[in-house]
Amino acid sequence: MLEVAGLQVAYGAIRAVRDVSLTLAEGELVTLLGANGAGKSSTLMCVAGALPAAAGSIRLEGKDVTSARPETMARSGVATVPETRDVFPDLTVDENLQLGAYTRRNDSRGVAEDRARMLEMFPVLAERYGQPAGTLSGGEQQMLVIARAMMSRPRILLLDEPSLGLAPTIVDRIFEMIATLKDSGLTILLVEQNASKALAVADRAYVMRLGRIEAEGTAAEIAAATDLRALYLAG
Amino acid sequence: MSFFLQFMIDVLSLGGAYALMALGLVIVYGILRLVNFAYGELIMVAGYTMYLTSGSGLPWLVMAAVAVLMAMLAGIATDYVAFRPVRAKSVTAVLITSFAFSTLLQNAALLFISPRPRNVPLPEIFSETVQFAGVITPARNLITIATAVVMLALFSWLMRRTVLGIAMRAAATNFTMARMLGVPANLVISSAFAISGLLAGVVSMLWIGRIGAVVPGIGLEPLLIAFIATVIGGMRSLQGAVLGGFLLAFMDTTLNFTLPQDLLKFRDAFTFSLVILILLWRPQGLIKGPASGQRT
Amino acid sequence: MVKNLTTIAILSGLILVMVGVTNLLGVRLFDRIAINLCIALVLVLGLQVFMGNSGILSFAHIGFMGIGAYTTAVLTIPIRMKGMSLPDLYPIVAGIELSPYVAILLGGLVAAAVAAAVSYPLMRLSDAAAVITSFALLVVLHTVMTHWSEVTNGPRTLFGLPRATDLNLAAGAAILAVVAAVAFKESRTGLLLRSSRDDEVAAGAMGAHIPRLRWQAFILSALFAGIGGALWGHFITSFSPKAFFLKETFVILGMLVIGGANTVTGAVFGAIIVTVTFESLRALEAGINQAKIFSEQVVGLTEIVLALAMIAVLVLRPGGLFATHEIGALIRRRVRKKKDG
Ligand SMILES: Nc1ncnc2c1ncn2[C@@H]1O[C@H](COP(=O)(O)OP(=O)(O)OP(=O)(O)O)[C@@H](O)[C@H]1O
Ligand SMILES: [Mg+2]
Repeated sequence: MLEVAGLQVAYGAIRAVRDVSLTLAEGELVTLLGANGAGKSSTLMCVAGALPAAAGSIRLEGKDVTSARPETMARSGVATVPETRDVFPDLTVDENLQLGAYTRRNDSRGVAEDRARMLEMFPVLAERYGQPAGTLSGGEQQMLVIARAMMSRPRILLLDEPSLGLAPTIVDRIFEMIATLKDSGLTILLVEQNASKALAVADRAYVMRLGRIEAEGTAAEIAAATDLRALYLAG
Repeated sequence: MSFFLQFMIDVLSLGGAYALMALGLVIVYGILRLVNFAYGELIMVAGYTMYLTSGSGLPWLVMAAVAVLMAMLAGIATDYVAFRPVRAKSVTAVLITSFAFSTLLQNAALLFISPRPRNVPLPEIFSETVQFAGVITPARNLITIATAVVMLALFSWLMRRTVLGIAMRAAATNFTMARMLGVPANLVISSAFAISGLLAGVVSMLWIGRIGAVVPGIGLEPLLIAFIATVIGGMRSLQGAVLGGFLLAFMDTTLNFTLPQDLLKFRDAFTFSLVILILLWRPQGLIKGPASGQRT
Repeated sequence: MVKNLTTIAILSGLILVMVGVTNLLGVRLFDRIAINLCIALVLVLGLQVFMGNSGILSFAHIGFMGIGAYTTAVLTIPIRMKGMSLPDLYPIVAGIELSPYVAILLGGLVAAAVAAAVSYPLMRLSDAAAVITSFALLVVLHTVMTHWSEVTNGPRTLFGLPRATDLNLAAGAAILAVVAAVAFKESRTGLLLRSSRDDEVAAGAMGAHIPRLRWQAFILSALFAGIGGALWGHFITSFSPKAFFLKETFVILGMLVIGGANTVTGAVFGAIIVTVTFESLRALEAGINQAKIFSEQVVGLTEIVLALAMIAVLVLRPGGLFATHEIGALIRRRVRKKKDG
């Protein structure tokens, strides 16, 4: 469904991603692991269209989408949850959700249904419905961002460290939810620091180091072959 | 009592016009973090459209609608000529191109119309006065207040109740994230310029109503007013811009009543020194806007 | 070092050649154009010193030009004329009548002093806040010039300045400005300031106190502007505050942007190109008006062309004609290539 080949991403002179190739089949949950600064987020944001590719190609269902605009990617069914937990702080929870459905704003019935479904899935959000999103706690914001991404009924979900900085119970909730999303047939690319949890839900995994893919395989293979601790300690 | 009422009408009518001017500037600044120096010329464009259509025999309201539409088109043109081609390059470049576009429009008016003032048709009611509760005031002041109320309500509805408006507010805090949700950057920016033109066009009708004529330099004063009001109100906050407009009107009106004549002529020097001081104290303006995001 | 001297030599040579040719031709009109060009050079180079090195757009420049012009006016208008041209002048200065050459220098110094006094806190600001404050400063200066009748004769035209600026003086000032601009750019302050322009954080980390560096550049820039304004005053001999506002700001800014704000060479070539184009278009306008082809006077054509040129340059060649390298460096590189090849 998604094919990334020989991708490079640069910030001025800094080459954050040097050579990344990966694929996502329909309905697959693939996780991208690696130490801090390995280039995971840069890869993800480049796929989302938020960063231009310096070299290489990204194909979505066979169509070349390298360096496409972020709005184009969203319209082709790619939803992104960035690492920076980007709720719109002075929009209400409801308005945030409404914007999530921007690409299908003509289907007001479907949007209303989805909104009800999301509020059922995340009861906290239902309580905070009319409140500015900036007043939510970190965990609540993370849930809002995921719910907002789901409002577009994406075909691919890009998740960047959804568990970052959250309490263990909430992390568990979030991983449960990721598993549910996967079961519903959604294709997911998951970037995670919490490797053991990610590998537990993933079908396959890639390990990045210094801007390159260093290892790939099924989740079980990677879990067995890699010393996960070393993965994060080594630069 | 009647003095107080008189004072209030003065402040509200002036403030209404100022608030609309400031809002038109901030709507673009909030999203792009870029100052549109050609903003005043949108007011000029609407004015000259009135002058050019004055012989057409159309009802005044139709002419005014055409004028507002032209201001909106001029706003969108500003985006295409001065902003879009250099937006990604540098802040300074955009400031210069918008300054250049402003000069371009002004001199086009000089060249193709005239350096001399041109009369603009006004409906009768603009020159009438109204008397009530012991106050005599030009009807146009009351019209200005009413128009400002309607426009502010419309604007608020647009920004809060429509998807486009919500998308624009979102883009003002985090443009990239809004785009990742599928909000097209160009649509948001063009809409901001169009709304800016709409506000400028409406303000133009009210502003020109005070003088009854249009000259190529007519946009300078509204631009300066919008600058001050936005700096007072916080450069990225829409509510702040409105508040800033009314505060400035309050200040101006008070100074008009209290300052002796030979100091009054330095009023602009005072207000602009105040602008500098405010910016030194709080570079974001008095009222903090939404949490910061990045430019596109 | 050698390449800087080459730059200075070429740019000054250009000015000298222009002076020589103008003197040879002996046409009054060309004399006027050449003097205007030299004064424009002083002003544009002044703006380059601040904008080029700090990367911050300043609108206030022309305001300091006005300060220079009015200072020299107050100091040089003959005592017997002062009663007419500045009837309300304060008695302390009413009795002063200095040599224009001294007064021109003082004009520059007063402008620099005003800049030094008001601008330090402004130098902390960047981006939109910096631009709006400099714009506000221009409005403040303009308002003061327009209404401080005792010193400026208010919005009315001030007349009676002795005519002291000839081509030699103006060209001399322009050459000095070139030397000073190059020297400042290559000085330690200039170098640090330029690195802050490219990366504010990194330069700050190197220990540069950026507001102070900007402040120094701003004062020097105002000195140029004041001297340029004073020279212009003694050339035109009568003027009003209108001469120091947005229209003139636009022209000077246009020269710098088209030539390339980051280089002294850019400032010089920008001034030359814009002046020549302007004068040609003015001649065209005048021709059209004299021939009475249109019922109304043709005005504004020159500004329209300049505005279009500025937009075109910023879109197609964002750094201007000389974006990064001075002409000295460019020529030396070419020479070296030829030697190698
Ligand atoms: N905006 C930026 N400007 C300059 N360099 C950047 C920028 N963003 C990231 N980098 C650099 O690019 C490299 C890769 O960063 P990236 O955020 O992709 O890593 P990551 O694998 O997501 O790390 P983490 O696990 O800490 O989130 C890092 O060295 C980082 O310093
Ligand atoms: Mg990351």
